[in-house]
Amino acid sequence: MKKMKVEERLTLTKFEVYGEPHIILRREKCKGCDFKICISSCPAGLFTLDETGEIKFTYEGCLECGTCRIVCPENAIEWNYPLGGFGVQYMFG
Amino acid sequence: MSERYDVIVVGGGPAGLSTAYFLADHGYNTIVLERGSEPGSKNVFGGRIYTYPLDKYFPDWRKDAPIERWVRREALSILCEDNIVNLEYEIDRKPNGYDSFTAFLSRFLKWLALKVEEKNVVVATNVRVDEILFRDNIAYGVRIGDDKLEAEYIVIAEGANTLLSERHGLRRKISPRDIAVGIKEVIRLGREKINERFCLGDEEGLAQFLIGSRFGGGFIYTMKEYVSIGVIYRPLLNNQIEAKDVIEELKIHPHLSKLLRDGVPVEYSAHIVREAGYSDLMHKPYGRGYIVVGDAAGLILNTGFTVRGVDLAIESGRLAAEAIHKTPPGEEPAVYMKLLREKEIIKTLKKFRKVSKILSNERIYTKYPEYICQILDKIYTVDELPETLNESFKKAVGGKTSIIRLIFELLTMVRSL
Ligand SMILES: Cc1cc2nc3c(=O)[nH]c(=O)nc-3n(C[C@H](O)[C@H](O)[C@H](O)COP(=O)(O)OP(=O)(O)OC[C@H]3O[C@@H](n4cnc5c(N)ncnc54)[C@H](O)[C@@H]3O)c2cc1C
Ligand code: SF4
Ligand code: SF4
Repeated sequence: MKKMKVEERLTLTKFEVYGEPHIILRREKCKGCDFKICISSCPAGLFTLDETGEIKFTYEGCLECGTCRIVCPENAIEWNYPLGGFGVQYMFG
Repeated sequence: MSERYDVIVVGGGPAGLSTAYFLADHGYNTIVLERGSEPGSKNVFGGRIYTYPLDKYFPDWRKDAPIERWVRREALSILCEDNIVNLEYEIDRKPNGYDSFTAFLSRFLKWLALKVEEKNVVVATNVRVDEILFRDNIAYGVRIGDDKLEAEYIVIAEGANTLLSERHGLRRKISPRDIAVGIKEVIRLGREKINERFCLGDEEGLAQFLIGSRFGGGFIYTMKEYVSIGVIYRPLLNNQIEAKDVIEELKIHPHLSKLLRDGVPVEYSAHIVREAGYSDLMHKPYGRGYIVVGDAAGLILNTGFTVRGVDLAIESGRLAAEAIHKTPPGEEPAVYMKLLREKEIIKTLKKFRKVSKILSNERIYTKYPEYICQILDKIYTVDELPETLNESFKKAVGGKTSIIRLIFELLTMVRSL
C-alpha cells in the first residue's frame, strides 16, 4: 500500500465546514509554551509552526476528537463543537 | 420546539438513545437532542459490541441490527520491526451463540435511533445544546442558541469530551495522562479477500489487539467488506511519532501491509477515550433535575485488551431511566448510584482499576514487545550453535533490566488484568 500523507487521508472523511471556526487558538498563550504538544497529538495535523516559529492552526479538517483541548497545558485552546449539523460527518465511525 | 417534554436527553450516542428507549417504556415523553446531522455521524469506536444487553432488552434485534460479523477469532499480537508474535483464540459456537459482533458505531446508532423512534421518542438532529439551565441548583432545561427548552429532567449523555459537565462545574477537565486518542482508518477490501486472508467464514469476524513499540496499542476488526484498523495513541507516551502518522506506521508493518494489500481507504476518524477507569467515575452522577450516563459519567471499561463502552452505556441508560422513574418529584435521583452498584457495573470497574496504571506504563509498549520478539527470534533461529531459553532471555533483555524486575512487572500486570 502506498504511503499517504495526513492531508490526503483527511480527504477521505466528509466535512460540512461552517464559516466560523469552532476552535479558537489564543496564540499569545503559546509564547511561553515549550512543550507544543498540540502539534504531535492532533491526529489531523492541524497545528503547525509557521516560518517565524509561531503556532498556526486551521479548523477545517478537525475530526472533533477532543485531544488538543485536553493536552494543552496553557488552556490556549477555546474549544466548542461546531454548530449543530456542521463539522465532520462520519459514516464508518 | 414549543412542546413540553418530561425528559430532555443531551446527546444521541449509545447512552443517550438507550436512556430514551427505557424512559419511553416508563411512559415519559422524551426528546433526544443530537448535534450531528444524523444519529451516529459524530461517533467513533473500535468495532465490537457485546450482545448481552441487546439480548435482554431488544427483542428480535438480530433480525435487523447492522451486525457485520460474529467475533469468532480473538487475537493478541505483538508487532516488532519486521516480525509478529500471535496469541490466538478461536471460538467455535453455534450461530447465535457468539457473545460479540463487529460493527460500525455510526450504523449501529442509526438502527438504535429507529428503535427509539418506534416508541414515539423524538430524536432531533442538528441540535447543539449550548447550556444546561439551572435554577437554585436544579436543572430545568437547556439552551440551544437563543432557544430554550424545559423539562423535568435533563439526561447528560454528551460522551467522553465532557464540555457541558465542565462548563457547569459537574466535572473537572481530565488530565492528559488519563486519555488516549483512538485513531482509526476503515479500508475496503471486499468480502472474499477478507475471508481468505484472515481465514474467516462468511459471517465470521476477527477482533485483534495489537501492541507495538512504535505506536503503542492498536486494533483490527474485520467487517463484511471492510477492515477497521486503529491505534490507541497516548499523547504523553507516544512522543517519538506524531498522532497524524501512526496509521501509516501501522499500515507499513510487513504483516499488515500484506493483509491489507489492494485495500482502498474510505474513512479516517478519531476520538478520545477516557482511560482512568474507576477513578474517573463521577462520585455523584446525578443531582436535582439531572442525571449523567455513559462515557460522560466515566462508565467505560478498558480491560487492557478490549474497550467496553457501548454495553455499559446501554446498561447505564436503563438504570438512569429506572432511577428517574423511582424518584419522587423534586428529589435527587440518588437511587441511580445504588442501581449501578447492584448491577455490578461499579464492581466491574473497580475490579479493573489497576489496568489504567498499566496502560500508562511506557514499558509495556516499548520494552516488552522488543524483548519478546528478540527471545523468540533467538529460539527459532537455527544455526550451528543453538541457545538455551535462558541464554536467549539474557541476551534479549541484556543489561537493560533485571530478570527479577521484569518478572515482577509482568506479574503485577497479569494480576491486574
Ligand atoms: C477509539 C475507540 C474505540 C472504542 N472501541 C470500542 C469497542 O470496540 N466496543 C465498545 O463497546 N466500546 C468501544 N469504545 C467506547 C464507546 O465508543 C463509548 O463508550 C460509547 O460510544 C459511549 O457512548 P456515549 O453515548 O456515552 O457517548 P458518545 O458515543 O460519545 O455519544 C455522545 C453523543 O452526544 C453528542 N453530543 C455531545 N455534546 C452535545 C451537545 N452539547 N449537544 C448535542 N449533542 C451533543 C455527540 O455528538 C455524540 O453523538 C471505543 C471508544 C473509542 C474512542
Ligand atoms: S500546547 Fe497549547 S500553549 Fe502549547 S503551543 Fe499548543 S496550543 Fe499553544
Ligand atoms: S479536536 Fe482533534 S482533530 Fe480537532 S484540532 Fe483538536 S486534536 Fe485536532
